[in-house]
Amino acid sequence: MGAIRDYFGNISSALTSTAKGMGVTLRHYRKEPPITIQYPFERFPVPDRYRGLHILEQEKCIDCKLCAKACPVDCIEIEAEHHGRILEWTQFSIDYKKCIFCEFCIPPCPVDCIHMTTEYELATEDPDGMVEDLLTWTGLRPQDQRALEEAAARKAGKVVPDAAASKPSAEGTSAEDMAAKIAAIKARMGKKD
Amino acid sequence: MEALIGLFGELFGLEGTLALSAAYAVCIGSILGFVTVYSMFAIWMERKVAAHIQVRMGPMVTGGWHGWAQSVADAVKLLFKEDIIPTRANAFMFWIAPAVVFCGVFAGLIVVPFAVGVQVVDLHLGVFFIIAIASIEVIGVIIAGWASNSKYSLFGAVREAAQVVSYEIPTATALLVPILVVGSFRLNDFNTWQAEHHWLIFHSPWLAMAALIFFISSLAGCKRAPFDLPEAESELVSGFHTEYSGMRFSFFFLEEYTSMFVAALLTATLWFGGFNLPFVDSSAWHPALAMPIGIVVLLAKTFFFIFVQMWLRWTLPRLRVDQVMSMGYKYLVPWAFVALIATAVWDYYGWGWLPL
Repeated sequence: MGAIRDYFGNISSALTSTAKGMGVTLRHYRKEPPITIQYPFERFPVPDRYRGLHILEQEKCIDCKLCAKACPVDCIEIEAEHHGRILEWTQFSIDYKKCIFCEFCIPPCPVDCIHMTTEYELATEDPDGMVEDLLTWTGLRPQDQRALEEAAARKAGKVVPDAAASKPSAEGTSAEDMAAKIAAIKARMGKKD
Repeated sequence: MEALIGLFGELFGLEGTLALSAAYAVCIGSILGFVTVYSMFAIWMERKVAAHIQVRMGPMVTGGWHGWAQSVADAVKLLFKEDIIPTRANAFMFWIAPAVVFCGVFAGLIVVPFAVGVQVVDLHLGVFFIIAIASIEVIGVIIAGWASNSKYSLFGAVREAAQVVSYEIPTATALLVPILVVGSFRLNDFNTWQAEHHWLIFHSPWLAMAALIFFISSLAGCKRAPFDLPEAESELVSGFHTEYSGMRFSFFFLEEYTSMFVAALLTATLWFGGFNLPFVDSSAWHPALAMPIGIVVLLAKTFFFIFVQMWLRWTLPRLRVDQVMSMGYKYLVPWAFVALIATAVWDYYGWGWLPL
């Protein structure tokens, strides 16, 4: 008797479980809205504290290299030449092939000049392109150049005739872009200066 | 068909064999075109159904509206792919296997009545022809598995042959049940009988049971989930078409979707009234009106059953090989014979849906 009961039990359980399962899938088919989004056209909101690509406020940076020392994978390369308090930059780059986005580089900074943004699209076809240069200008800015020349001239005992000409308006456009970019990122991250 | 021969005779002055050949060429060409377009649509539909069941969206970009051109893009890609024949494979057999597989299923479509007069050949043994010619597919599968000279392909082909041949018994037995009631193998007779009486699914409980058995075993015959064990893509390496790529591979795909279409078409024609509308007597309609309506009605029913096949695929998990065999031999075969004998007795006494 057991075998016969098993046989008909199999038939009835096959039919009922199939019907039940099809009910579930039909409900999903008809009622449930899709939980996925069309990625390149729309994106999920990224949390403010998301650890994405870095950004550097270059004019604040004092070349202390604390971030590079804090980095557990040594992906930050910093090089600058000091002219007194004016820095002549040659390199501030992060190798994203190595970076693990641990955010250890952010807290040590004494002047709060390096930040992480919410940019997360790092895919590239070119591995060499993954070394990101965070500098917006290299070498000396025009006003720094002039300041250095003035200092040198003063040292030599000469009078600088037209100091008023070296106004901040002479700054390079890239630095202005940089300031706007940083302001936008700070606004997005809800940070205060 | 006869109308086409007459038309060619009138328009171009063709006579005899020439007119016959031209008419056949037009019929076969149109069915081939239909099958290709249908397969692209069915693949897109399958992806959409799967996506919606899994609370996704599926293809959305290609072609604009809900990714309708995705299958077209895939087909173009497959056409341009490199044509690889493995070095140690038997090149001729490897080349001919997809054609054999596709022809077996495709030939079944020529006896199907799509509407009044829309039929290539009105065979007296139409149902028998479809079942018989669809079995050629197994030969193609074995050729493909053997010619690939790969162990995966060979085992896949053996698995598939074992399953498809096993499930031909319940399929054919379940098909005999409506044949017993109507008393004919001709597919047109099913349409006329169901137009005069009622849909065969409502004839008696045994016919409903036969419809269920036929539907389940035709799923196994099409290698559809939950019986897609022969070519389980996620667990076994695709069965007999492991070594196939590009356009040859897409022929196996075409075959799968065409056999789904044939199975759904047979279910609709034999049990669900064919191209007849329910509660409407269309026998007196003008052919120019009855023809398009018949095609639309039959295709609507067919696509409903194709949808059920897809719905089942994304509902049920895959069966194990011993479960597939025990389902076929212990459950479907005996109950198909029960339905056959019970229908003979039932109709001998002339009982209806309930024997009152």
